[in-house]
Amino acid sequence: MRCFNCGCELTVNDFCTNCGADIKDYRRIVRLSNQYYNDGLVKAKVRDLSGAVLSLRACLKLNRMNVDARNLLGLVYFEMGEAVAALTEWVVSKNIKPEKNIADDFMEEVQSNPSRLTTINQSIKKYNQALLYAKQGSLDLAVIQLKKVLQMNPNLVIAYELLGLLYLESEEYKRARRILTLASKIDCNNTRILYYLREAEEGIRARYADEGAGSSKKKSVTASDSFTYMSGNETIIQPINTGEKKGVSGIISLIIGVAIGCAIMFFLVLPARLRAVSTQMNDQLKAVSDELTAKNADLVEQDKRIEALQSENDTVKAQIDELTGSSGMEERYDHLSDAALNYMREPDDVLGTEAMLESILGDSISQNSAISSIGVSSNAVTLDPAVYSESFRNLYGYLKGEVASKAAATYIDRGREELSNDEYQSAIADLLRATEIDPGSDEAWYYLAESYKESGDSVHATQIYSKIVNEMADSEYAERSRRSLTNGAATDNDSTQTDQDNAEDTAAETDEALAQALAAQALQQATAGAAASDINTLEGAAQ
Amino acid sequence: MIDFEEELKKFHPSPEVEDAESAIRALDVTDMVDLIVQLEEKNRTATTRV
Repeated sequence: MRCFNCGCELTVNDFCTNCGADIKDYRRIVRLSNQYYNDGLVKAKVRDLSGAVLSLRACLKLNRMNVDARNLLGLVYFEMGEAVAALTEWVVSKNIKPEKNIADDFMEEVQSNPSRLTTINQSIKKYNQALLYAKQGSLDLAVIQLKKVLQMNPNLVIAYELLGLLYLESEEYKRARRILTLASKIDCNNTRILYYLREAEEGIRARYADEGAGSSKKKSVTASDSFTYMSGNETIIQPINTGEKKGVSGIISLIIGVAIGCAIMFFLVLPARLRAVSTQMNDQLKAVSDELTAKNADLVEQDKRIEALQSENDTVKAQIDELTGSSGMEERYDHLSDAALNYMREPDDVLGTEAMLESILGDSISQNSAISSIGVSSNAVTLDPAVYSESFRNLYGYLKGEVASKAAATYIDRGREELSNDEYQSAIADLLRATEIDPGSDEAWYYLAESYKESGDSVHATQIYSKIVNEMADSEYAERSRRSLTNGAATDNDSTQTDQDNAEDTAAETDEALAQALAAQALQQATAGAAASDINTLEGAAQ
Repeated sequence: MIDFEEELKKFHPSPEVEDAESAIRALDVTDMVDLIVQLEEKNRTATTRV
């Protein structure tokens, strides 16, 4: 304890050892103040909040420096819903003792929740408004407002008090009792609440007494019908027999109730249920439809891909067939290999080698309709670089060069022999083959003309004689051809009528062969340079 | 029976948060110790005059 005058620490003496002030009364005041504080603390612990407020105020009137009492007073105010009063006490406490003051924690807790503080403030404003309504006589508005206040701030004791008073004024004693009972749970020994509660109980009792007196004409409530007992300050009147009436009306009520229930079910519940099911079905249908559309789109795309892949497959198959089929490149390489092997093993079998080479070009010509349509001879065909490799073309040219002249000579010899044996058709075929292989052979052409003439085909004979005379004037056969033409190939014909008929039958075939031979000669001249260079290259490689 | 009007007069508006500052300023914190100090001052003054 410190001296109130100089602030010096006091001793056991009744005066201040520093300034000499008499502190006897001061000691008694402080002691009394502490007693009030203790009393307030005990009351606060048993929720006698209004009593605690009185004690703590008295304590602070004696000694305003009692910080603990001030903080407790603020806490009690806050519990009673009066936040502003609580904050006021805490602020003053903080001013008196700035350090190590629990008021700091209280204020911080209140300020940390601004929404709660706002709600409390709003409830206080509404309480003030309700009080104004009550003073103006608008009790109904005041009651409504106070109900809102208690929803927002259920601890505001003064709002309970005012609402209880308003209910008492409107003679709603039971409501007043209920509200005041709630208030007494917050502040259990509030004089005003207890006073109003007693008024409410009296009002209730008086009303029951009036009803008991006034119901003599009706069915009287006898002692056997009810019993009364006291619960604290409340009088409980409880009826004994409260069974419902039984009879036909009960059955009718039951039937009506069932009918109403069915009607509600039919008109309200069932349509809503059907609507919900329908909506669900529609949603499912929509989902399925969407899924189906997506699947269809995927299917169309898959079909397109399948078509594209099929087309690609066909193309690849065609390419494979071209390479590996009977008329493919593989087959042609086989023919070329066979021809080369045959030439190396049996160099004298030029006709066999020639036939193998022809089989290559025969396939080529059969594929190349453009070439076959003009009836060009196979040996005059230049191999397409896009189709045949350079090695293929070189080997083919080499073999052809080696074999062609010998094969042509062999055919010419055979044709001459057949001509001498009067085998004209065979002679024509062999000589035509010779001219195809070697279109520049004047000997082959001449004996071909002779064969035609002897077979009675003077037209072709004349054509070939003329060709020899015109195109091979330096040949030894030119003069002989000229003589044949002068003698008249047709008039010299002394063959039989049968031979002429045969000649006419084969005219069409020989025309084509002859045309091919003539075309071959023309093309050979054009490609002679290229073929010679190929052969030279191949010969160089072979060496 | 309670007198409604008389009872109603006992109710006063509760201070709002906006009024907290003025409520703090208006708070009367005078206590018995202050009175003792004043009395001591008076006694001291009287003694000095004598």
